[in-house]
Amino acid sequence: MSMNYVSPDKLPEELGKLMAEQFEFANTGEKIMDEELKTVSRGFFKDALFRLKRNKAAIAAFWIICLMVVMAIFAPNMNEFTFSEQHPDFTNMPPRIPVLEDLGIFNGQRVLTNRRLDSLENPEKFPAGSVLGYSNPHEVRGVTLVDVEVNYYKYIGADDTYFWFGTDNMGRDVWTRLWRGTRVSLIIAFAAVMTDVVIGVIYGAIAGYYGGKIDFFMMRFCEILNAFPRVVVCTLFIMLFGSGMLSMILALCVRGWVPTARMVRAQFLRFRGREYVMAAQTMGVPDRALIFRHILPNSIGPIITRTMVAIPSAIFTESFLAYIGLGLAPPEPSIGTMLSAGQKVLLQYPHLTLFPALAISILMIAFNLFGNGLRDALDPTQRGQE
Amino acid sequence: MGKYILKRTGMMVLILFLIVSIAFFVLRLMPGSPYDDDQDLSPEAIEALNAKMHLDKPLPVQYFYFLKGVALENNWGTSIKLRPGVDVFAIIVERIPASMVLNIASLLISIPLGILAGSLAAVFKNKLPDYILSFMVIICISVPSFVFASLLQYFVAGKLEWFPLIYDATGDTAAQIKSLVLPIMALAFSPIATICRYLRGELIETLSSEYMLLARTKGLKKAQAVMRHAFRNSMVPLANIIIPMFTNILGGSMVVESIFAVPGIGGILVDSITVSDYPLAIGALLFYSFISVATILIVDISYGIIDPRIRLGAKKS
Repeated sequence: MSMNYVSPDKLPEELGKLMAEQFEFANTGEKIMDEELKTVSRGFFKDALFRLKRNKAAIAAFWIICLMVVMAIFAPNMNEFTFSEQHPDFTNMPPRIPVLEDLGIFNGQRVLTNRRLDSLENPEKFPAGSVLGYSNPHEVRGVTLVDVEVNYYKYIGADDTYFWFGTDNMGRDVWTRLWRGTRVSLIIAFAAVMTDVVIGVIYGAIAGYYGGKIDFFMMRFCEILNAFPRVVVCTLFIMLFGSGMLSMILALCVRGWVPTARMVRAQFLRFRGREYVMAAQTMGVPDRALIFRHILPNSIGPIITRTMVAIPSAIFTESFLAYIGLGLAPPEPSIGTMLSAGQKVLLQYPHLTLFPALAISILMIAFNLFGNGLRDALDPTQRGQE
Repeated sequence: MGKYILKRTGMMVLILFLIVSIAFFVLRLMPGSPYDDDQDLSPEAIEALNAKMHLDKPLPVQYFYFLKGVALENNWGTSIKLRPGVDVFAIIVERIPASMVLNIASLLISIPLGILAGSLAAVFKNKLPDYILSFMVIICISVPSFVFASLLQYFVAGKLEWFPLIYDATGDTAAQIKSLVLPIMALAFSPIATICRYLRGELIETLSSEYMLLARTKGLKKAQAVMRHAFRNSMVPLANIIIPMFTNILGGSMVVESIFAVPGIGGILVDSITVSDYPLAIGALLFYSFISVATILIVDISYGIIDPRIRLGAKKS
């Protein structure tokens, strides 16, 4: 490449004689500047929200969770029954829902076995309109017996009563109890997970920030605690402190904070040596501010993800404990106590198991889906990993 | 390696010691002696029984006897309500086979099914089979095993009458196996889904690696390349999630056993808690702790063998 550069001593004579005033700036008329950036910069959460919104399943799960929470708050007051009020005349009523009953589902139907066929016409035994149909006619000693499908509400003469989800063996309204139970289960899960996160963050931050011997001993303690089987810890705890809501929450926390602590510690180890932390340290920022203002915000994404993953597992453990007989004391319902009570009469009164089983399944699926979506959105590098 | 194993074993012994100690205090903090409720016993008899069980001695001495009993003499106390007077250890031992059959069987059927589902999902990544499998995985992982158990019991056993409702204790071996099918199924859903999800992730990562490209370039068919190279490499990490899964199945099986009346450890735990038979309940919990701790030990040691970095002091994760 040829250069047009000429060394000063070889300049033509006349150029050397030019005066300063004879020079003028080129391009003075127009401003020269970089093109302005047209893109809008997005913050961390905006970015995460953008990715989350593209995950349809997670968004659907989010709305389902919202719906369940709203129902848990308001649904127990939506009909005239209370969760502990017993109706001795209406025990084990099948579910009956006003509009749906015309479509043939949840119409208060029950099958009564081995009734005399000729008694179906008798309005004293079967009030008008109560018989929906019969099946399986068979003859026993000259009498034809059938299995009668009745509208049980009309059959016992309570046509204007509606227990939407039926009643249990004490005549308590399952709808009210179910949503109150959902509320209780959600409160236990949320409270336990929040406590976990607070303990875990503080513990993990201290271990990760100070490192060295402190870290070594704190992490050994975690390791020991983590080797305790969860079921055993919770069971022993509740045996010792009784099965109230508070002891249930604490039982879930005993060992629940360890994964959070480990995760926060790992984040602190990663960021502790960064230049910006050193700079802040040099400027005399106190440890507490360094931990909470400068390093902790880096782990906010994983903490949120961890919270979302921990909630379904807390819901599960709560109902598991109820199942093995360590649930809340009656009459307070929880999804777990309702399930384990319903399980005992599963074949006779399936509705007592069906509704709590649906509730816990929907909650677990929704929280898991939303948790997965949140993890993908908050930490794109983790996508696809479990 | 020997030092590493020794260190891990020591740790696990410490953990078991802690669990046994906590169990002791839970037992002793229950008010009164276990014999106080018994109407048939005279005060002298209660006193004699208390003396025999060392219940009249100070707490530290009781603690010593308890530790010695659990560790050396297989003396885990006696059942007080469910089967009064019977040795807890004997009850537990008698219950082990049913639990083990149930748990090992569900683990064994879930491994091949999980591997099959996981490979299908990975090979058909982002196509219809993958979507269907992902949907099923999220359901199987989310829905608790006892809900599956209730569903199977109601529909498959109750309505279709394909299998017995509860465990058939009196029938012959074939009938007993048949009655175990539903509990095994209920327990297997979650491990199948876990293996499927894990293997899918592993395989997808391997399938996009460069040696897979090389395998294809040197002329292997896709199926050959997947079988010979990708599949093998994904199996190693799989081993590490299968062993801990056993503890999870065991936990779930406590409830499932009680739903299907399987005479296992889980059933006895639920029954003993229901009637407040604490020595028996704690015996069942101790058994569960031993299995769980042993599982962790096996995983730790196998990690050490597979990945020498861990053995040399580097931390997992």
